[in-house]
Order: sequence, then C-alpha cells, then structure tokens
Amino acid sequence: MSHPKPQSSFSSTYGHLWFVLPGFAFFLAVMLIPLILAVGISMTNWTGFGNDLQFVGLDNYTELLSYWPFYRAAMHNAIIFLAILLFQHTVGLYLAVLLNEKPRFMQFYRTVLFLPVIMSLVATGFIWTLMLSPNIGLINPLLQTLGLGFLAGNWLSDPDLALPAIIFVTAWNSMGWAIIIYLSGLQNIPEELKQAAAMDGANTRQIFWRVVFPQLSPAFTALTVLTFIGTFRTFDVVYVLTGPLGAPNFATDVVGTLIYRTAFGGSSFSSADIRFAFGLAMALMLMLVMAGFCYLLIRVLRSREIEA
Amino acid sequence: MTQTQTRQLQRSQSDLGILMGKTARTLVLLVASIWVLAPLILMIIASFKSVPEFFMNPFGLPDEWMFSNYSRAWTDANLSLTLPNTIIVTTVAVLVSTLLSSMIAYGLSRKKKKYAMGLYTLFVSGLLVPVQAIILPLFIVLKAIGFFGTLMALIFPYIAMGLPLGVLVLTPIASALPHELIQAARMDGASEWQIFSRIVLPLMKPGLISVSILNGVWMWNEFFIPLILAFKPEVQTMPVGIVSFIGAYSTEWGLVFSSVIVSTLPVVIAYLFMTRQFQSGLTAGAVKG
Repeated sequence: MSHPKPQSSFSSTYGHLWFVLPGFAFFLAVMLIPLILAVGISMTNWTGFGNDLQFVGLDNYTELLSYWPFYRAAMHNAIIFLAILLFQHTVGLYLAVLLNEKPRFMQFYRTVLFLPVIMSLVATGFIWTLMLSPNIGLINPLLQTLGLGFLAGNWLSDPDLALPAIIFVTAWNSMGWAIIIYLSGLQNIPEELKQAAAMDGANTRQIFWRVVFPQLSPAFTALTVLTFIGTFRTFDVVYVLTGPLGAPNFATDVVGTLIYRTAFGGSSFSSADIRFAFGLAMALMLMLVMAGFCYLLIRVLRSREIEA
Repeated sequence: MTQTQTRQLQRSQSDLGILMGKTARTLVLLVASIWVLAPLILMIIASFKSVPEFFMNPFGLPDEWMFSNYSRAWTDANLSLTLPNTIIVTTVAVLVSTLLSSMIAYGLSRKKKKYAMGLYTLFVSGLLVPVQAIILPLFIVLKAIGFFGTLMALIFPYIAMGLPLGVLVLTPIASALPHELIQAARMDGASEWQIFSRIVLPLMKPGLISVSILNGVWMWNEFFIPLILAFKPEVQTMPVGIVSFIGAYSTEWGLVFSSVIVSTLPVVIAYLFMTRQFQSGLTAGAVKG
C-alpha cells in the first residue's frame, strides 16, 4: 500500500524544478553556453581558422562603431522596417477592416491572404526571382499593360530598384500577419460600443477613428514589434533574390548578410577577409540594439495603450 | 447589425453609394487575392516547362507537360534525401520541444516564487538571441557531443530554439489550470508525473497544438541554421538543399520550381486542412510577445 508521501519543505519549494530541468539542459547547451562563448570570442582577433588568437578586449566593438558597411546595412534594415511598417498599418489594416465586414467568400480571402506567411522565405524568394525577371517575369509586362511601362525595369540588378524589390517581396510574404492580427483585434471590439457611437450621431469614419482604432492598440503594438524583429533579421530573402553580397553593389546588403559574409565567408568572398570574431561582435551588437529597441518600443506603445 | 444602425447608414449614404462602395471593396479584396495567388499559379505552371519553352513561352501553358521535372527533382535535386530529412527533423524536434516546453510551463506555473519569474524571463529572452551569434560556438558544442554530420545536428538545436516560444505561449495557460483538480489528484496518491501526463497535458491541448504549429512552420522552413550546420545533402533539409543544388543548375527553372513546390506543398496542405488552428496558433505567439 502506498501512501502519498508527506512533502518535505525542499520538494515543495523546488520539487517542480524537475519539470524544468530537461528543457533547461537543452537551453543551456544550445543557447546559453554558445552565447557566453560568443561573447568571449568576440573579444579576440580569431578569424575562425587555426589556433592563432589573441585577446583584444573591446577592440572589435570600437572598430565596429566606425565601420561604415555596418551602418549602410543597418540603414537598409531600417528602410525595410519603416516601409513594411507603413504597409502593414495601412494596407494590412484596411484589408482586415474589409474582412471584418464579413463579405461573401470571406473564408476564401482569409485563407488566401494568409497563405504566404506559412511559406518559406526561400520559396518566396524563388517565386519572386521569376516574377521580377526582366525576360521571363510577369511584373514588367503587367506594368506595361496597365500603362505604367515607365516603372518597368531590371528590378534585381538596378541599384535604385533592388531594395524596393526586396521590400515588395517582404510585404507579399508578411501581409497575412497584419490581416490576421488586426482582424482578431477588430473581432474583439464589442458591437455595443459602435452602436452607442452611432446612436450619438457619429458617422462611419468617426466611429472608426474615435471608437474602433483606439481599441486596436494591442494589435498595433504586437504587429509593430513583430515587424521590427522580423525586418532586422532579414536574411533569406536577400540571400535568394540578390545573393549574400547584397547585390548590386551592396544596394541590398543588410546586417544579416553582412554578418554572414564577415563571419562565415559565403560564396564569392575570399577567405582572407573572413573575420569570425568581428562578425560575432556585429551579431552581439545587433542583439543589444534590438533588445534595447524592443524594450523601448514596448514601453512607448504600451503607455500609449493606457492613455487611449 | 441592428435596425437602428442600418437605418442610420441608409440615412447617411444613398443606395447607389452603398452598392458602389460594396463593389469597390470586393474589388480590393480580389486584387489582393490575385496578388497573392498569381505568382503561385505561375510557379506551378513553370514547374512543368522544359528549359527552351521557359524562354520562348514564359506565360502560357506548356505545350508539353514535363512531369519529368519532378522525377529529376527527386533524384538530381536530392529531394529523395532532403524530404525525409525535413520530415524527420521537424517531427522529432516539434514533439520533443513541445513536450519540454509544456513541462517547463507546468513547473514554473506551480510556484509563485521569484525564481519562477526569473527562469521564465530567461527562457523567453531566448527569442532575442540572434542565431548568427550562437551558431559557430554551437558548431563547436555539436562537434564535442558528436552530433555533427548527423540529423541530430539540426534536431538538437531546434528543440532548444523552440522552447522560448513554447514557454511564452504555454506558461499563462498552465497558470490558469484549476488548482483544485491537481490538488485532488495528489490527494488520491497520483505521482507528480502522473498528474502532469494524465491531467495537465490533456487540459493544455489547444496550447500544445498552437506551439506545435508555431514551431513546426519555422523548423520546416528554416534556412540559415542548416546552411551553416548541414553541409551535405544527406543531412540537409529542403530549403537549403534546393539553394545549394541551384548553383549547378541555374537555368533549369522547371527543376527549381518543382523542388520548391515539393518543399512547400506539405505545409500548404496542412494549412488548408487546419486553417483556423494555423491562423490562431501563429498569431498566439505574436500577440503574447
């Protein structure tokens, strides 16, 4: 006969840590130890090959502060972020509002518009390489048919058009997020609120901006943070569409591809230029800046939510 | 919509205006849908074309349907290796990662102690760690354990990298479980593990599905990690397998797109069968963050 054991004070305080332990072991081996190693290596001059390394303190970090390709790449990330942000909060929000009116075939639109989100960025990249190709793509002939022929161009090889093309493809891939997040926000707004405003004589426009929109603050915050993290991690799309060098002439180079080339080489990059430790310093700097930014972003947006 | 609201709308807009507004809205939705679907349809057609036809007739249907593109993708593009790899890696990593995060969530939710909050923050802040920073130190760790060059070199990191999202989504769910139920089971002499597996896990099922979808989609699609950690087709997953064979076949678009379709189709089919779960599951992680 087994009686329930009287719990010792130790097991009642720490007993459930047994449930945390296995996961923690994985987390330690894959995230924490490598992260500590990375911080250590970033303070050396290791190239990634051989045993030739010296402790150089924060030299890599101070060099990074005046390393202009890093700023150029970060600037491209920032441009992508702002453009996608604008797109999500206008086109994405508008489509969510349209879907919230429960049109016919709503389920169809919802399913289709969210579809790119589940597709890999590699697949997305190949699809759009084809679409944007000047010889066999659909985009240029389409622009000509619409009478917008002056917009047609060599999307991926013209330095002025390549970054807009990357933004366009990113927008295609991520629009579903905006729609679904805003749609679930819209569906959570009590109908009575809108009715009350309508009784008071507010028109549709006023109801949207004064009543509905403030209620969407949590969705706005979530989407903004998500877009920020996603766009500053951009890598796959650039790798497939314009290559690890951020062609043409680094016009689409982002922090992700810059770190990749610096730390790992990447194709068409001579091994003499590989500086693993410097690449790690870049990645860690990116992490710090992103963490700080996310914290600020959430702080600012959340305080706005309370005021609203 | 209530009577008053409808009347109000009619007062402010003429019938014609409503009709035109409605048509315009449908048109916007249609254009957006075409924008999403047209590239996909073009890709499907392209995957059946031969190389010369690709350049002579880029937009029309192929004169001759090259089903051989698919059989060649299976052999030449190594899908016969990378498709099973992707299935194994994703399935094992999703199952283990979801189980481990549900255990963590349960363990952390039972105590209102400081350490629980600290551990929770630690796990969740894993979301901010850029994979470029940890991947080569990780490479060293994997070599030390002897996982390098096997599928475990992907499964092992994926399990750990799935935990932050899992803990983020599941901990609030575990905290909200009825305390009395667990206390009652304990009175009946159930062991802690029995309580977890028989009572807690079934109650968390919707959350477990969310986490599985959330992690399954990125693991299936992940490109950067296998790009660095899996250097030969025998241990690669599909996205990186496709990219790496393209160097040699750069003009064989039919072959490229048949491989891309094979790599995308399983997720799309799963999505079409469980659209609701995918949409709510994927946004669950986003909105909580």
